[in-house]
Amino acid sequence: MPAPSSLTCLVVDDQQTMRSLVRSGLQQLGFRTIYEAPDGEEGLRHMLARPIHLVISDYNMPKLDGLGLLRAIRSHPPIQKTAFIMLTGRADKELVQRAVQFGVNNYLVKPFTVGTLKEKIEAIFGVLA
Amino acid sequence: MNRTPAAHDHAYAAEPRKIHVIQGEFHVADDDDVVLTTILGSCVAACMRDPIAGVGGMNHFLLPGETGDAGLRYGVQSMELLVNALLRKGARRERLEVKLFGGAHLFDGLSDVGGQNSAFAERFVRDEGLVYVGGSLRGDRARRIQFWPVSGRARQILLAPTESKVFATERRQPVVKPVEDIGALELF
Repeated sequence: MPAPSSLTCLVVDDQQTMRSLVRSGLQQLGFRTIYEAPDGEEGLRHMLARPIHLVISDYNMPKLDGLGLLRAIRSHPPIQKTAFIMLTGRADKELVQRAVQFGVNNYLVKPFTVGTLKEKIEAIFGVLA
Repeated sequence: MNRTPAAHDHAYAAEPRKIHVIQGEFHVADDDDVVLTTILGSCVAACMRDPIAGVGGMNHFLLPGETGDAGLRYGVQSMELLVNALLRKGARRERLEVKLFGGAHLFDGLSDVGGQNSAFAERFVRDEGLVYVGGSLRGDRARRIQFWPVSGRARQILLAPTESKVFATERRQPVVKPVEDIGALELF
């Protein structure tokens, strides 16, 4: 039952507007330390530079997409246990299955509410304090 | 009367294939013979194209009127679906040109949903670093829009004030009756 303020979050999406929405939702839930990246490559650089507890990543992105980022994280021991939530444009069964295969912790279908975001995070970390 | 081959060809030139984009949907095309159409009241349509890749598309969205992020998420989703579909057809984000239409304030005294939609669309284009090349937002008339996705040509037809109100009322119905045009304005 961690306090959101104690968790560090990384939001990866090529749309600045979507990153802002996710950031705003996280802030409403009490998260304070939130980093952003516009693609998987930049996201991975963030991961290697500082401790991140939760990644919320889009799937469709240039350079390195969400699945690529997930695979890179899971294959890199220092960061491989980082919680990962995949953002999808729709309930894409095949994408979700592949993400599960690569070790995703949960997925979030856009457009989503702050309540849904909270549920998905709590399914991983337990009820947020 | 004999007709020259050229005149004959012109007379029988194929009409463009019209694809109507209704609220909540989008469509992309890379076909010269396609024209995307929609009718807008307080809704907004973003018409985007990549002139190098020769692909374009249109969406049609209405924010639900909720305040803050809750309302914005539908607009963001609509924009993202359109952009991603264009990228899948070979467009590059940095080359996307955008025209915005709609966002009318059709009824005095009611909240200006059209203004909110317009402001969202303008902010989205600015925040995402997309190239805004024109369009027509706000005002008090409903609009009929045609957009040729490959050339980027757009045409706006304003509807008469009375018919704009009829349109706004009937848009909740399954079928929208045809409305009379009062004049066309070709843009760009």
